[in-house]
Amino acid sequence: MSSPLPSVILGAALFGLGLAGFLARRNLIVIFLSTEVMFQGVILNAAAFARYYAHVEGQTYALFLLVIAAVEAGLALGLVMLLYRRRDTLDAEAWSTMRG
Amino acid sequence: MSGGRAYLLYVAFALGAFALYFLVPRPNARLAARTIGWLSAVLAGGLALYVSRNAGLDQNAFFYVFAAAALLAGVRVITHPKPVYSAVYFVVVVLAVAAILLLHEAEFLAVALVVIYAGAILVTYLFVIMLAQQPGAPVYDRRAREPFGAVVAAFLLTGAIAGQSASLGEDDPRATPPARTAVSRDHAGGASAGNTAAIGVAIMTRYPVALEIGGVLLLISMVGAVALSRKRVPTESGRQAPSLGQIGKEVEPF
Repeated sequence: MSSPLPSVILGAALFGLGLAGFLARRNLIVIFLSTEVMFQGVILNAAAFARYYAHVEGQTYALFLLVIAAVEAGLALGLVMLLYRRRDTLDAEAWSTMRG
Repeated sequence: MSGGRAYLLYVAFALGAFALYFLVPRPNARLAARTIGWLSAVLAGGLALYVSRNAGLDQNAFFYVFAAAALLAGVRVITHPKPVYSAVYFVVVVLAVAAILLLHEAEFLAVALVVIYAGAILVTYLFVIMLAQQPGAPVYDRRAREPFGAVVAAFLLTGAIAGQSASLGEDDPRATPPARTAVSRDHAGGASAGNTAAIGVAIMTRYPVALEIGGVLLLISMVGAVALSRKRVPTESGRQAPSLGQIGKEVEPF
């Protein structure tokens, strides 16, 4: 009998890695790559529970997650290009003028 | 029993956070720090493996191989000082996750993941990295921002997930019996239709509205991306924007 626990641990670890990268890195492109790593963890979770409950619904949700990821990547990279052309750097710290 | 398992998981994730703190890019990283980081990362992975095996969870050995690949590549994605290498390591993460999806009988999802992520999204990322590459190794790639706060936040989140999920698989009445039905037979009338057919039936019969909204969302994103990238913005650095065909000429090859 297989349990989803190993997959859930792996998904949580990937999600945590993505979160740490999102918070710690300063390169705008790597920040958005980190969100994609978080997406991988969530997709893995959905598929693991779909198998655990022998139900196809989790995989359906994961498919919609793919759609959201594609939308996010397209818009985020457009924004990154806009910011890069404006300040000529990919440094997220260049946009910290609102910091107190 | 699950309480002890939860604490072991806390320790594993704490070790992982500790490892990550030593592995994030810093200006003058010493070899000792990197060694400590990788050693504790391996230790954390071994502890998580021990918890999984000890809970009597019979998983395919391939699962652990691909899980290790995904985690190592994931660490490199967020710690490598060069964004191009981060993107390439992310391809490894995607391929490993796709392999694990295959083990979970999600064949269509695995192929879709490879096609969409490793094929489409990654190419977009590589395009932007090439377009916005700066000569040399800029300082913002060599110095992390608040690494301690970042790993603490990540540990709190993963710890919460571990505490919630440690009792998974222990007498859950909704779980499938050992002789469970295949995922692909769920909605296809009991016939052994493929996984793809089952997902198609589920999407078309239960979530048609979500499907349409997804399509509209993709259209909105496309229009938004075109509008964003065509917008003329003044450069604030005073540098003259390079003309077409000259962009990236000053960058050294990797």
